[in-house]
Amino acid sequence: MAVSFREVTKRFADGTTALDRLNLEFDLGEFIVLLGPSGSGKTTACRLLAGLETPSDGRIELNGQDITSLPPRLRGIGMVFQNYALYSHKSVFENIAYPLRIRKDGAADVERRVKSIAELLQIQPYLHRKPAQLSGGQAQRVAVARALVWEPTICLMDEPLSNLDALLRLHMRTELNRLHRSLDKTFVFVTHDQEEAMTLATRIAVLKDGKLVQFDEPRAIYRRPANRFVAEFMGRPAMNTIDGTVEDGVFRAGDIVCPAECPEGPVTLGIRPEQIELAEQGAGGAMALVLDVKELIEPETLLIFQNRGNSLTIRTQRDCDGLRPGQPLGLRFPREALHYFDARTGERLR
Amino acid sequence: MSKPYKILAVGILACVLVVALTPYLWILLASFKGRLDILSPVPRWFFTPTLDNYPAVFIGKDYLPLVFNSLIISTASTVLSICVGAPAAYVFARTDFPGKEDLFFFFLTTRMAPPISIAVPLFMFFTVLGLTDTIYSVVIAHTSFNLSLVVWMMRGFFAEIPKEIDEAAMMDGRSKLGAFVRVIVPMAAPGLAATSVLCFILSWNEFLYAFILVAFEGRPLTVGIPGLITPHGTLWGQVAAVAVVATLPILVFTFLVQKHLVRGLTFGAVKG
Repeated sequence: MAVSFREVTKRFADGTTALDRLNLEFDLGEFIVLLGPSGSGKTTACRLLAGLETPSDGRIELNGQDITSLPPRLRGIGMVFQNYALYSHKSVFENIAYPLRIRKDGAADVERRVKSIAELLQIQPYLHRKPAQLSGGQAQRVAVARALVWEPTICLMDEPLSNLDALLRLHMRTELNRLHRSLDKTFVFVTHDQEEAMTLATRIAVLKDGKLVQFDEPRAIYRRPANRFVAEFMGRPAMNTIDGTVEDGVFRAGDIVCPAECPEGPVTLGIRPEQIELAEQGAGGAMALVLDVKELIEPETLLIFQNRGNSLTIRTQRDCDGLRPGQPLGLRFPREALHYFDARTGERLR
Repeated sequence: MSKPYKILAVGILACVLVVALTPYLWILLASFKGRLDILSPVPRWFFTPTLDNYPAVFIGKDYLPLVFNSLIISTASTVLSICVGAPAAYVFARTDFPGKEDLFFFFLTTRMAPPISIAVPLFMFFTVLGLTDTIYSVVIAHTSFNLSLVVWMMRGFFAEIPKEIDEAAMMDGRSKLGAFVRVIVPMAAPGLAATSVLCFILSWNEFLYAFILVAFEGRPLTVGIPGLITPHGTLWGQVAAVAVVATLPILVFTFLVQKHLVRGLTFGAVKG
């Protein structure tokens, strides 16, 4: 394994534990996304790998070498910051060239490498400008170019897209995907946006309260979430989670009744909005719920139902023009789409 | 802005300008007056100008070295204050440690005591060190009060620079010290310039410490002026000539950096 966190703990001076015995290993060449809500420790993990923070406990290894107490400049890792962190007194060219200048590369070599990375990121026209004259998207590209120009082993990105507007964010996401493919570098990307994580990552590490909750490929995380938190965090709209009880192989929670394949007792049932099927009322296995709200998000429709004070969301591609709020509808939960979580701990049961 | 308001504003500004500039014009004119014109009971705005005062004091009384003493003292104390104060200010701006704000306040309090209360202890201190009547004692004394100014002002300037810049420099391959010296200091250059000019001016104008610490060797211009008050009367023309020369560097500096100066002062006030 190329990069490994071994039992890494980080406690800050104010007593907060940002990371709690993190164990994480990944290969070079991967696109790893550290995903979690704010305060989950994802940025701390990234900064520990960069060397900008030192762990309170545990070890970090790179290619088998212990780098825990190595200063950032000796780690061979580049980094892109959320606020770009460009040197305002230098031109774009000099910003990108800076890591090479520190390494005392020859002038011709610097020129060649800056031009080549600038071409890759399509920022050649701005090379002579000052950072203050750039738009957010251009500044972010410059920051990426500066982090990659000296060909570090790993490129870290701490929420690099969150200062960009929505359209630009989508565009940069695609660019990063392409960049990762063409450079064959290791990217470690920090984000709280599950969509970014799903689209970019070869593997996603989901963190919560300083602990690693799940580390797997995006598809696996979506299809087999390790617990209720991951289930609700991944996918928009969020997975429906319904607290109820299983008795005699049947799950019951208010109007929702369906066959269940899990141990008896209190259980949280999970089902993704796109996997609930609309059915004829009274058809076999269908239950009737009253439609509360209809939201059109072309080309799909969100149908929201109320069940004992909790809402249940369905995402469907069917034409829902004829449906009116207040109208009862038949719903069916396909057996293979159901997730079961422990009602107390939230852990996956099956 | 409405018209009457504008007229009022211009009127007030004009008054302030007259109050501020009259003494300076007075001194400037006096430096070109003969003894009779100066001592005339009715101020004379029209007189036959003379250039005698300048050579009389700077060459005749050998005051020229005093200009160089002033320059050396001000420059050395400014450089020393910046070299010691800027790294301290950077630490105040970037790191948290127990008692940080108390320590910062302590730096400020060094400026709060009336200078005269420190003058005697300072004299005894330099006597023990054998530095009295040397230029070094004045440089160190001036550094003692300029240092707090540097720490106070530069903290605001450094805090303006996001800490990610330091981190970016370290990721690019600099050490922590390298990031400060090679990246943060150049970025804080306008602030450094403003602070330096203020330090220079304060040191250049300082009289009390210099007067107590040096009598002959290393006297700056400010200490030279009382030497022109003789038993036979005050040589007003020569006093005026020295005063005019003493204000020249300050005028030049202030005009050069006035934009940064205003910015630097307001930053210090808000951030410090």
